[in-house]
Amino acid sequence: MSEASGDKAANESRPDGGQVRTMPSSNSFFSDFWVNFVRWNLKAVRNPFVVVGSLVQPIIFLVLFTQVFGQIATSALGSGGGAGGITYETFLLPAIAMQVSLAAAAGSGIGLVNDMEEGMFEKTLVMPMSRSAMFLGKTAAEILRIVVQIAIILALGTVLGANVATGVLGAVGILGIGILFSLWFIALSNIMAIVTRDQESTIIGANLLQFPLLFVSTAFLPLDAMPDWIQVVATYNPITYGVDAARALMLDQDVMTVVEVTRFGGIWDTLVPAIAVLLALDIVLGGVMIYLLNRASSSAVQ
Amino acid sequence: MVTKKPVTDDTLRTDGRGAAIDAEGVELTYADGTEAVKGIDLRVPEGEFFGFLGANGAGKTTTIKTFSTLLSPTAGSITVNGFDVRDEPRRIRETIGYMAQETSVDEELTARENIRFAAQAYGVPKSERAERIDELLDLVDLADVGDKQAGEFSGGMKKRLDAATALVHNPPLVFLDEPTTGLDPKARNRLWEYFERINERGTTLFLTTQYLEEADQLCDRIAVIMHGEIAATGSPVELKRRVGGEILDVDVPAGKDARERAAEIAREGDVFDADADVSVTDDGISVTAERAREHGTDLLVALRDAGITVTGFNIRAPTLDDVFLAITGEELDSEDRSADAVDVTEPEVGAE
Repeated sequence: MSEASGDKAANESRPDGGQVRTMPSSNSFFSDFWVNFVRWNLKAVRNPFVVVGSLVQPIIFLVLFTQVFGQIATSALGSGGGAGGITYETFLLPAIAMQVSLAAAAGSGIGLVNDMEEGMFEKTLVMPMSRSAMFLGKTAAEILRIVVQIAIILALGTVLGANVATGVLGAVGILGIGILFSLWFIALSNIMAIVTRDQESTIIGANLLQFPLLFVSTAFLPLDAMPDWIQVVATYNPITYGVDAARALMLDQDVMTVVEVTRFGGIWDTLVPAIAVLLALDIVLGGVMIYLLNRASSSAVQ
Repeated sequence: MVTKKPVTDDTLRTDGRGAAIDAEGVELTYADGTEAVKGIDLRVPEGEFFGFLGANGAGKTTTIKTFSTLLSPTAGSITVNGFDVRDEPRRIRETIGYMAQETSVDEELTARENIRFAAQAYGVPKSERAERIDELLDLVDLADVGDKQAGEFSGGMKKRLDAATALVHNPPLVFLDEPTTGLDPKARNRLWEYFERINERGTTLFLTTQYLEEADQLCDRIAVIMHGEIAATGSPVELKRRVGGEILDVDVPAGKDARERAAEIAREGDVFDADADVSVTDDGISVTAERAREHGTDLLVALRDAGITVTGFNIRAPTLDDVFLAITGEELDSEDRSADAVDVTEPEVGAE
C-alpha cells in the first residue's frame, strides 16, 4: 500500500491534462449530436422496414377508408357541424398525417431497445460524448423521418383529391404539428423500451396503444357522429388534439369541438388549445423519459 | 517485478510513472442488495498485460464496469489513467478503450462505418480519421469486407470489429471483458495476436477471463477473483509455484479400492516428502510434490511391488487450473480453521 500512496503523490505533481498527449475532449456538443444524427439516419436508410413500414399502414388506411367509407362518410360530414361541405379525403388526410407521426414515433423506443440488445447502448455510454447530445441526435433523426413521411402523405393525399386550404404555409404548419404530436409518443415508446428492455414488448405495446387511441379520437369521423362514451374518451385522448390542429390547418376552419375556445378567432381557436395540450404532454412524458434514461445510463447492467 | 514492454513514441501515454489503474477498497453493491465486489485493492502499472481471472459470477464484469465508469462504486477509490472515476468520468472515457463481454457492433452499419462512428465519437481529428480507419481494418483483418454490413459477419469477425472500435483513439489503457468467449480456437488465437501486438506498442491491457490458459498465455500478472474478492495475485509462474511442485498423474484402472491403496502407498511410503499432496482421481491418483519428476519412478516401483497395475503415467508442470483448485482448497481449509474469513485472502502475497 505504501507504493500506492507514493504513486498518488506522483500523480498530483503532474501538470493538469498533460498526462495524455492527444486529448480528444475537443468534441463539441454539436459534433456529438451530429455523429449520432448521422448514425441513426444511416440505420433508418439501411432498414427499409423502418421507413416503409411506418408509411404502409397509414397509406393503406388512407386508400381503404376513402374508398370504402368515402360515400357514407362524406354525407355524415355534410350533416355534421364543424366540418361540413368537404370531401372525406380532405377530412381524413390530416388524421393520416398524424397516424404516420405516431407510427414513426413508435420506432424510437424500438431503436433504443435494439441498441440495448446489440450492446451499442452500453458502448456509447463508455464513449466520451455528451449523453444529451447522443439522445438528441437520435431523436432528431427520427423527427427528420417523420417530417419526410408526413410530406409524402400530404403529397399523396393531394394526388387523391385532398386540398390544403391554407396553402403551402398550412402544409408546413401540419409538419410542425406532426413534430409536436410525435414527441409525446416518442417519449412514451422510449419509456416502454427502458421499462421492458424487450423489443417485442415495445412493439406490441406501441401498437396496442396506437390503434384504439386512433379510433376513439376525431381521427376518422367527426366527434358528433360517434357514441357518447367515445366523445368523452376523445376529449381526453391526445390524438384528438393533434388531429384537430392538423385538420384546422387543412380546412382553414376552427374544427375543435372537444374544447370550446373562442378567444383567438378562426383556426387559432383550435391551434392554441391543441398546441398547449400537446406541449404539456410532451414536457411531462419527456421529463419521465429523461429521468428513466438517466437512471438506465448510470447503471447500465442492473 | 514486472518487465516493462518497449514503448514507441506514437502511443498515447500517461506520464510513465503512474499506474494505469489504482484501486483501493472498491466495493459494489447492486440495488437489489447483491454484493458483487467486496473490497478490491488493485494496482496495474502502465504497459502491463493484466489478467483478471475468475469463474462466472465472481465479480469480473462488475469490476471492469466500475473501472470503466459504467458503474459507480459503492465504496473505495479508483483512479484510472490518473483520473478519479467519480470526479472525472469523461476524462477516463476519453483515455480508455472498452470491449464488452457481449459483442457490441451496429449490425446495420458497415465495418468501416462502425469504426468511423467510434472515431468521431472519440474525437479522432478529421485529418487522421481515414488513415486510422484503414489501419484498424488492416489490423483486425477486415479490410476486404470493410464495406459490408456487420450483420453479415461471423461471430469472430464481429468480435474483431468490436476490438477495432475500442482501439480507434489509441487509448493508453484497454479493458477487455472476456473477449474470446464463444470463439473457435482459430478466431481466439487471432484475437490474442492483436492483443499482444497492441500491448507491445505500450498499451496497458486489463483482461478478464475464465480461461486459465488465456491468462497464462497472455498476461504478465494475474489476479484471481472469487466471490467478489481477490484471492491471489502474481505472475503466472508465481501462481503456479503456489501449487507446490509438479504434478504426477498415475492411471490405475483396477477399481476404487486399488486406487485408494495406491494413494495410501504414495502417502505413507518414503517416496515423497511429507508435504506432498495425494488425491484419488477418477482414473487413478494424482500426486503434487516438489520433486515429483525425480521420484516418480520410485512410486511406480512401489506400486508394482504392491501388485497394483499401472497403465498410464504422466508428469507435468501445474496449469492455472491446478492453481485455481489449490487456491480454492486453501480457502476452504482456512475457513475451516479460522472463523475470521477476512484473513483468508492475502491479495498481495504473490505480487510483492
